[in-house]
Amino acid sequence: MIAPLSWKTVIATVLLSSGPALAQSVAKPTQPATAPSTQGVTLPKPTTLTLANGARLLLVERRDVPLISFSAWVRGGALADPAGKEGLAALTAELLQRGAGSRDARQFAEAVDGVGATLKTHADLEHLAVTGQFMSRDSALMVELLSDLLTRPRFAQDELKKTRERMASEIIAAKDGDPRALINTYFEAFQFSGHPYGTPVGGTEASLPTLSRKDVLAYAKNQLGGDRLILSVVGDFDTKELAEKLGAALGGWAKAASPAPQAPVTTVTKGRRVLLVDKPDATQTYFSVGNTGISRSDADRVTVDLVGTVLGGRFTSLLNTELRVKSGLTYGARAGFSQSTHPGAFVMFSFTQTETTEKALDMALDVYSRYRKSGMDDAMLASAKAYVLGQFPPELETGGQVANRLSELAFYSLDASDVDGFAAAVSRATRADVSTVIGRTLPAPEDLTFVLIGKAASIRELARKYGPVTEMKISDKRFTPAPSQR
Amino acid sequence: MFRQSLLWTSCLTLLAAPAAIAQAPAKAAAQPAATSTQKLGSNVESRTFKNGLKVIVWPDHDIPNVTLNNWFRVGSRNEYPGITGLSHFFEHMMFNGAKKYGPGEFDRVMEANGGANNAFTSEDVTVYQDWFPRTALDLIFQLEADRLQFLSFDPKVIESERGVVYSERRSSVDNNNMVALMEQVQATAFVAHPYQFPVIGWPSDIESWRMEDLQRYFKTYYAPNNGTLVFTGAVTPAEVFALVEKYLEPIPSQPPPEPVRTKEPEQQGERRIVLQKLAQSPLLQLAYQGMAAKDADVEALTLLLNILGDGDSSRLHRRLVEEERAAINVATYFSPGFDPSLVWVTADLPPKGNLARVEALITEELARVVKSGVTEAELTKARNITLATFWRSLETINTRAYALGAAETFRGDYRQLFEAPARYERVTREDLRKVAARIFATQRRTVGWLVPTEEAAASPTAATKDAKR
Repeated sequence: MIAPLSWKTVIATVLLSSGPALAQSVAKPTQPATAPSTQGVTLPKPTTLTLANGARLLLVERRDVPLISFSAWVRGGALADPAGKEGLAALTAELLQRGAGSRDARQFAEAVDGVGATLKTHADLEHLAVTGQFMSRDSALMVELLSDLLTRPRFAQDELKKTRERMASEIIAAKDGDPRALINTYFEAFQFSGHPYGTPVGGTEASLPTLSRKDVLAYAKNQLGGDRLILSVVGDFDTKELAEKLGAALGGWAKAASPAPQAPVTTVTKGRRVLLVDKPDATQTYFSVGNTGISRSDADRVTVDLVGTVLGGRFTSLLNTELRVKSGLTYGARAGFSQSTHPGAFVMFSFTQTETTEKALDMALDVYSRYRKSGMDDAMLASAKAYVLGQFPPELETGGQVANRLSELAFYSLDASDVDGFAAAVSRATRADVSTVIGRTLPAPEDLTFVLIGKAASIRELARKYGPVTEMKISDKRFTPAPSQR
Repeated sequence: MFRQSLLWTSCLTLLAAPAAIAQAPAKAAAQPAATSTQKLGSNVESRTFKNGLKVIVWPDHDIPNVTLNNWFRVGSRNEYPGITGLSHFFEHMMFNGAKKYGPGEFDRVMEANGGANNAFTSEDVTVYQDWFPRTALDLIFQLEADRLQFLSFDPKVIESERGVVYSERRSSVDNNNMVALMEQVQATAFVAHPYQFPVIGWPSDIESWRMEDLQRYFKTYYAPNNGTLVFTGAVTPAEVFALVEKYLEPIPSQPPPEPVRTKEPEQQGERRIVLQKLAQSPLLQLAYQGMAAKDADVEALTLLLNILGDGDSSRLHRRLVEEERAAINVATYFSPGFDPSLVWVTADLPPKGNLARVEALITEELARVVKSGVTEAELTKARNITLATFWRSLETINTRAYALGAAETFRGDYRQLFEAPARYERVTREDLRKVAARIFATQRRTVGWLVPTEEAAASPTAATKDAKR
């Protein structure tokens, strides 16, 4: 059997793509030749239960297949990392699956692999996630492993030491690899400097070695608990039966000892700032330019989706058209908004050979300024609407995608209308709405944060053109410049 | 956590906070047992048209969307010195204008009608993918028919696209140590066969292929008789076949391309290469001479690699990462193609890690499996993982289209896809021991070390040369 595409296939065969099917050319906008599909997608209605400890369960039966997918969200995440202890939530998440209940790390891995299941834990900025998929015949094992790792993790000292070292080594390996993997971490650390949203979730080479078992135990006690849990399960099971099993397994999970961490609101920063990260062997400059964008629950988020699509969310976007299609300066240019409880980053991103850094950056800024001034014409808006509507259904095609979306909506206190009303909201958006939203969400060109990863010896002078420069080395053991450099 | 995909989607993913999506179930109404897969795929229909084009349709109306995959049997395997990377470059040119839809129009029209597209090139194949709402079906046929019949090559566009491919090479190879090493190992492991060429091409060749090369490629390899068209999703076979008759059947067939005749001679001794680059983390790659997709041992090899390198309970992970703490990551990898390709065992080391020690440990583990084989529990586990992977390969219309196309292209019949679980069921422990002995011989391997240096090397001129000239 030929395995489906995976990251390994891509790397091992140096599989090459023509690039993103990404938005809209300025030259000659095309009116849709076919009526855009307004056939939306509806989110299945889950059976919802709240356990005595506050844990919320959302269950959806899909009896056509012998598989079960789940997505558990535990509020807290890296927001609860103490200063200097970045990566604590990520380390805790990693350790949850490295020994729990009656199983040590090896036995736990064997229990999952042995039945062909998947089970992954990871930390995000505002939550820890546990996701997995089991065959339905193994549902009892699924409940056992999930509840063991949430409620009875071992946090063994030797596993902690190994995992901590490996996490630091992975950061170093990533710095030897494609800068695309890390530039966002640098950007967020710089943009949200001094704010919890700037926390590098995976930790840093400096912070990881300082994390002790005491830190992990404190994090678990204060930040993990039944009251923080949202668990969505989709697949082949009997709701009543599974609800009883999960209730018995998770209902006794104590509440977290501390209140959930609250971050102060994020705001758009004024003025220009440049962070230059020196990678002496780089033959290209990778750049992110942006500011603070919107929150997940922003009332205009559907219009923002259209705005982002046209600027840098699809292949014929303004940015990709200018930087790639018309000028051949890059393999790709894009833009997007990351959304959390509070506004996250808005970023335009591209890369180009060191010698054309200025040309590509100026071109991106020029596209951006023109877009802010002129917005979209009718044809562009119609095209963007058709595109986001046409590409929406595959986002909720699988049980795993549905489980994840159910948990995400519950986490942000959003209801099913986020999905069910998407198509109508897209159709309603007018050019006036778009102009208003562009004005509100895209910062003025004089208020932009720049992160450049590249060969500093060649681009140091140039970087000053865009604002006051702070410089650091990619080999520095952190993602922010040392305090003395700020 | 920091493992990244080189797919174009990675950039987009990186713009957002990563969200782990749980693997989702296959949509097939069947039990996860080898014996019950007959029903699966029973509604797939295929037809071969007068011009030799084969079309496969798998209807599924869960969502109002369709995936099209167009598989062409051409890749870097069909290249020679001077035109390495041409298959991939050609793939880019397929988006750059034809007769009815000029430069940029293919993407613009498709996206304005709700569709998205991509393509990829490997050593063996070039695959074009469209994802669109079913309302755009007729239009997609018009777009595809235009480029499949009337692709045009504008010299200005060719030069601009060279710059794009240069940028792609700099990102995916020059600024990525793992891939840079892989390129060197693969070029060393094959002395005769064109699998020695990197898919993206050597830098000097990226500069030098010509218009006539592209035109010859189009005529030879992009003939309807050299491709397979796969549709999955909200369509009926009848409507697809009617549209093929209308738009694609008129395209004339061509004489079949010259076969790739070169066979790699038997390797009779270990080969070693060292790549010195500015880095902190050493890398190790072992590449063993492998087998082709149609080899009877493919299933046994897949299960064996699973036991060695798949998941935290795998042998190599346990030994090197957990017990000896000599590596931060170990992986096995094999992607079968038309001709025998390499079986990879790779390891990422921590800074100052000991390459010789990691190599010795992996070699020892491989020798152990050659000598003593695997346990019954390991075989059961590998079968379960493979079965789950099989179901997951059918979980979306997109992955279904890929799985069908791959089975048709590499195994000669898409139906082979549905027989996969039964084939895995038949594999015995003895088969695994035998395939281990067949593959893991040190004299049939190439060893690659990436040794970190303190100094940044002077940039290769090819990588910094202005592609615009």
